[in-house]
Amino acid sequence: MSFLWGMLWGVAAVMVIAGGAIVGVWWERKVSARIQLRLGPQQIGPAGSLQMVADVPKLLFKEDIIPAAADEPFFRYAPLAVFAPIAMSVAVIPFATGWAPFDATAGALFFLAVPSISVLGILFSAWASHNTLSAIGGVRAAAQMVSYEVPRSLSVLSVLVLAGTLRPVAVMDAWEWWWIPATFVGFIVYLISSIAEMNRGPFDIPEAESELVAGYFADYAGIRWAVFMMGEYGGMIAASLFGAAMFLGGFRLLPGAWGVVAFIAVGAVLMTIIMWMKWTFPRLRQDQLMTFCWTILTPIAIVQLFAAGVIAAWL
Amino acid sequence: MAVDENRLPVPETVSDEYAPGVKGFMQGARSLLTGLGITASASTRKPITVRYPQEKVTVSDRWRGALQLKGALGRDEIDLVSAPPHEYNAKIDGLYRNDRLSPCTGSCPANVDARGQAFLIADGRIPEAYELVRERNILPGVLGRICHHPCESACRRNRYDEPISIRLLHRFAYEEYRKVAAERIKPLPKTRDQRVAIIGSGPSGLAAAYDLMSLGYTVTMYEREAQPGGALSTGVPSYRLPRDVLYGEIADLVALGLDLRCETEVGKDVMLSSIMRENDAVLLAVGLQDSRILPLPGTHADGVVGALEFLWAANNLGDAGVKGRRLLVIGGGNVAVDVARCALRVGATEVRLSCLESDQEMPCHPWEIEEAVDEGVIAMCSMGPVEVLSEDNQVTGMRMKPCLSVFDETGRFSPTYGEDTQDIETDVVVFAIGQAARLDSLVSGTDLLVSGRGQLVVDGADGTTSVPGVFACGEVVTGPGSAINSVATGHEAATSIHRQLEGRSLTEGRIARPVPVYEKYAPVDMEYVEPDRRRAVVTLADPDERATDFRPVESGLTKEQAMAEAARCLRCESEVCVGCTFCARTCPDFAIKVERTDQPGARCLTTYELDLTKCCFCGLCAEQCPTGALQHTGQYELSFYHRDLMTFDKGEMLRSDQGSRATGLDGITSPVCPAPRTGPGERP
Repeated sequence: MSFLWGMLWGVAAVMVIAGGAIVGVWWERKVSARIQLRLGPQQIGPAGSLQMVADVPKLLFKEDIIPAAADEPFFRYAPLAVFAPIAMSVAVIPFATGWAPFDATAGALFFLAVPSISVLGILFSAWASHNTLSAIGGVRAAAQMVSYEVPRSLSVLSVLVLAGTLRPVAVMDAWEWWWIPATFVGFIVYLISSIAEMNRGPFDIPEAESELVAGYFADYAGIRWAVFMMGEYGGMIAASLFGAAMFLGGFRLLPGAWGVVAFIAVGAVLMTIIMWMKWTFPRLRQDQLMTFCWTILTPIAIVQLFAAGVIAAWL
Repeated sequence: MAVDENRLPVPETVSDEYAPGVKGFMQGARSLLTGLGITASASTRKPITVRYPQEKVTVSDRWRGALQLKGALGRDEIDLVSAPPHEYNAKIDGLYRNDRLSPCTGSCPANVDARGQAFLIADGRIPEAYELVRERNILPGVLGRICHHPCESACRRNRYDEPISIRLLHRFAYEEYRKVAAERIKPLPKTRDQRVAIIGSGPSGLAAAYDLMSLGYTVTMYEREAQPGGALSTGVPSYRLPRDVLYGEIADLVALGLDLRCETEVGKDVMLSSIMRENDAVLLAVGLQDSRILPLPGTHADGVVGALEFLWAANNLGDAGVKGRRLLVIGGGNVAVDVARCALRVGATEVRLSCLESDQEMPCHPWEIEEAVDEGVIAMCSMGPVEVLSEDNQVTGMRMKPCLSVFDETGRFSPTYGEDTQDIETDVVVFAIGQAARLDSLVSGTDLLVSGRGQLVVDGADGTTSVPGVFACGEVVTGPGSAINSVATGHEAATSIHRQLEGRSLTEGRIARPVPVYEKYAPVDMEYVEPDRRRAVVTLADPDERATDFRPVESGLTKEQAMAEAARCLRCESEVCVGCTFCARTCPDFAIKVERTDQPGARCLTTYELDLTKCCFCGLCAEQCPTGALQHTGQYELSFYHRDLMTFDKGEMLRSDQGSRATGLDGITSPVCPAPRTGPGERP
C-alpha cells in the first residue's frame, strides 16, 4: 500500500517538475528577452505563454537519434539517471505545517545526498555518447558538482544546527524570524553553490555551448534531450523551494493557507534571481570555478556554520 | 613600429585582477551587484524588437517551396485544341481563362492550334498535323504561303531566340499531306437535311463551308470567276501562291462534299432571291471587288488603273499592258507591294512605289517591302499625290508633294503636306489605296440594305444582315484585311447559321473569341545563341532572276528541317516539360540539368535534375517556364537523410505536390522513355 502511495507521489513530483519546467522555460525566455531588450515568445497564447505547450509535443515527436558509436543502453537511460534523483529530492520539501510528501527523519540529508546521484547519470551520458566533447563536459560536470556539494551542504548545515534536527518538517516547526539575518550569508552560499550544482550559467562550463556544443548531452535529441532539460529545471525548482523553506521561512511567512502561497511565491522569486544571474554574468573558467569554490565559498560556509553553532550553543 | 606593452596606457579604473583579501572580495561583490543592476535596469526598458502581426499567417500560392514538374515530355501528351466549330470559341475562352492558351493559338484570328501542329509534326504524325490545322484554317497550304503569321510574332520563343516558323510548318504539312490526301479524304456525312448557299469562294466562304459541312449541312457555293478562291485566285500573285496549291486544297473541299459552282454570277446568272428561296440560309462571302481611286485631277486619263484590275490582269492574263513602260504605285500596303512586284514580272521597266507614310510606318509587312526593294522596286516614302499629269489623255507623270505627317495627335488619319511639289515621270499609275464592295446587282430583288456609302448593312459580331437567314462574312464585313482574318469571320458566320438553323438564339450563351494581348518582343541578341537553337531558314530565289517571272520566291522546308523546327516548339502553357533547357539557362546557380532526345515518336525528357544544395529558391526558372510545367510546391520543410538525396531526379521532380514530407526515401522511380515506333507504316 505504501508502495502504491509512493508511486502516486512519484508521479505527482514528476508532474510538478514537468509543469514547473514548462512555466519555467517560458518565464526564462521572457526574462532573458527583457534583459536583452527583446520581447521573447509572443505568438502562441497570451504573451506566448503557451509556447512550451506547443514545443513539448514537438520534442516528443522528434526522431530518437542514437549515434552509431554510442553505448546504447547507457545512452538511452542516462537522462533518466540524471532526472530521477532530482525528482526524488522534491519529496522531502516541506510544503505546509507538518507536511512534506515524504516526511523523512533525515530529510535534509536526503535532499543534499540524493541529487548527487545525477552526477553518475551525467557521467553515463558523457561516456556513452562516445564523443570527445561530451566526455570533456561530463568530467567537468563531475568535478564541479562534487566540489560544490561541500559549500552547499555546509551552508544548509548552519540552519540544521539552529533547528537541532535533520527532519525538514521539524526545521520548519522550529523556525524563527531572526534565523533569516543569522543565516543570510549561508543563504547566499547556498544559492551560488546550487546554481553550480545544476550546471547553470555562469557555472555552465560542462555545457559551454561555444566550446563543447552542449557538453555531456551534445548528442541527445528529442525527448531524451528534453529529460535533461527537465532535470535542469527540476533542480532549479527543488533548490529554490528548499532554499525558500530552510533559509527564508517558507510557509511560515504568512499564516494558514496563505503560507503555502507565500512559500511558492518566494520560490518563484528565487528562480527568477537564478535566471537573472545566468543572463548577467559571463561563464567562469574551470580554474576560476574551482578556486571560487574552495577558497571563497567553502571558508565562508564554514564561518557561517561556526557562527550558527555559537548561536545555538549560546541559546 | 614596435609597441612596448609595458608603456601602453591603462585606465586606472580598469583592472583584470582584484586586490587580495577582504578589499578584493568587496570589490568583486560590488562588480557582481553592479552587473545584476545593469541587467535589471535593462529589463525595464522598452524592447527594441518588432512585435509580430496579430493575424495568423497563411501559406500563399506564391510562396516558394521546392520545385516540381507537372508533366514531362515522353510521359504526358499535350491536349490538342479541338472542338466542334460552334463550340470552339468556348474552348479557347476556357483555356485563356485558365492561362492554358498558348500565345500562337491565342494570337491567331482563327485560333489555329499551332502548338498541336508542332507537337504532331515533331512526333512524325504529319497528316494528323495537317488535319488539325485544317479544322480552323481551311487552307493550310495556302496560308502556309501567304499568311502574315501573327502567331510567330506572339511566339514565346521570341523571348529567347527566334520564333517557330509556324507558317512554313503549315506549308510543309500541306506538302506531306498531298502524298496521302487521296486515301485520307472521305466525304463528310450529310446528317441534316437543311441546305446552305454560300456566295463567293474566298477564304471566309470556304471556312464557313467546311464548318457547315462538318456539322452535316448540304452546302452549295457560287463563284463568279472560272476558278474558285476569290481574292486568293484573282489578287494574290502566283509567285507567292502557286495556283495548284489553292485549287488543290479547294478540290479537297469538293471531295469532302462541297457543291462548288464556278462561273455562276449571282445577280446575273442566278438571282439571290431564288437562292434564298431554295436554301435555308445564305451566306454572302463576296469580298471586295472594286479598287478605290483617289478623286484627283487627271484620274480619268488612260494609264490610271485600280490595283485589283491590275492584279487580275497580271495573274489571269499574264500581261497587264505595262510591258516596257514605267509604273507608279500609289499606296503603301501589302496590295501596293503586290502590284509593284507583279509589275516587274509582267515587264515594267521601272517600278516606283509611293506612300504617305515614312519607311518606318508603312502599313505593309516589313519583309514584303524588303523583298520588293531587293527585286528593284523604288520606294518613295512620305510622298502625297497631287495630280495625274497627262498628254492627249495619256498619263505622262504624277505630281507629288512631301507628306510631313500622316496621323494627328489623336491617331486619326489626317495628313499634312509640304509646299514644294515634284513631278515623277511615269506611264502608268496604279492606285492601291483600298477596295470597296460591288453589291448592286447582287442585292437587286431582295430586301438587303446597303448603306449610303455602298456598304452592306451587317452586324460585325455575328454576321447577320438586314434579312433573316442571310448572313455575311469576310472582307465585305470587315473591310480589307488578311486572309486568316477572313477565315475567322467565316467561322463566326457558320456558328450563326448553325444556331439559326437549330432554332436557337444567335447571341444567347454565345462566347466571343477572346482577344488576348501578348507582349511585344524586342529582337534578341543572337550573338551567343547556338546555331541549333536558331529557326529554320528557307532560301529565297535570287532577286534578279525571280523578278522576271511568276516562279515561287520562297522554297519550303525539307523534312529534316521541318522536324527540327517543330521540335523547337516550347508547347507553351501545356504544363508538360519539353526539355527546352531555358530553366537551366536562367538559373543563376546552375542547379538545373536538362536533357532530352528528339527521336520522332519517342521524344522524351531523358534527364531533369535539380540540385537543391545549389537552388536558392529565387523562382526565376518557374517564372519563365514557357509551358508552366515547372512550378513551386507548398513543400517548405523538406528534410533529407543524406546530401546526395538533395538532387531531385526526373522521377522526384514529377512527385505529387500534396503535403510536406521528407524526401529521398520515397522510392519514386523515373518514368521510362517510350521506345521509338518501328511498326509498319509508321515513320520512325
